[in-house]
Amino acid sequence: MNIRGEVVAIIGFAGAALTLLLGMMWAPSVSINAFKAPEAQRIFYWHVPSAWAAMIAFSMLFVGSIYWFFKRSDWAWRLHVASSEAGLATGLMCITSGCIWGAAEWGVPWDWTDVRLNTFALLTLLSLYLVLGRRSQPDGVETRDTFAAFGMYGFVLVPVTYIATRLWQIRHPGPVVATSEGSLNSEMGLVLFIGAISFTVLTIGYVMAGMRLTKLEMRLEDLQRQYEERLR
Amino acid sequence: MSDQTYLTAAYICMIGALALWTWTVFARSKSLQEKIDSLEKAMSVDDSTSEGEEENE
Repeated sequence: MNIRGEVVAIIGFAGAALTLLLGMMWAPSVSINAFKAPEAQRIFYWHVPSAWAAMIAFSMLFVGSIYWFFKRSDWAWRLHVASSEAGLATGLMCITSGCIWGAAEWGVPWDWTDVRLNTFALLTLLSLYLVLGRRSQPDGVETRDTFAAFGMYGFVLVPVTYIATRLWQIRHPGPVVATSEGSLNSEMGLVLFIGAISFTVLTIGYVMAGMRLTKLEMRLEDLQRQYEERLR
Repeated sequence: MSDQTYLTAAYICMIGALALWTWTVFARSKSLQEKIDSLEKAMSVDDSTSEGEEENE
């Protein structure tokens, strides 16, 4: 059975919309003593899953980059291209939602001294560079090697981002799941879980569709080359 | 702006952005497929024309 990436992305998108609805209508409010903007805290059901999805996309980018570098496989290159685009979409979503929450809760959208904010922004900038760079450079082994090297070495920011709030908790809140504190109640946990699943499906859909798109682009380039040769 | 209005506006903008991104994936796929189909068609027409010319000769 050939499942199209676009269909998977639509299912993920529907799940993300459901998360949004549940987060706004069903999930309980947080204590007004703990937050300056308790209603804006609901953005967390969108922010955390998008960060999770971005990390998955960046991990796929690492796999695609390393596999391309050592095996020169077209499949790996297509994974590199598709996951950099998926990483950009989910990374931007995470940064945007974070800025919206920061503006409401902290009074400023960004804190340049916070390690997690900055390492995550660097990861998103890396994917932006890969997406724009690939579109502006002619395709070839050297170009692919350069971008794959950035994909490989940039991955070092993923574990740094993950542990950043554990090592240097400056302004970004610390982890709320998989910790001994267990500060989430069951309804909140359920909405967050639906969000995480939805964003994961959305990312997989984006990567599948992106890989197909890259394959179509390669096919088109090949056909154009053949056609031009015939005309000569 | 109240907290609830702020959150609703933010959510609408974000879901709109995500919908737009998903739509561009569809649009790019459709556009590429159409270009490939037309190019393949043009090449097959060229092939049949040149074969016909060879037979006439």
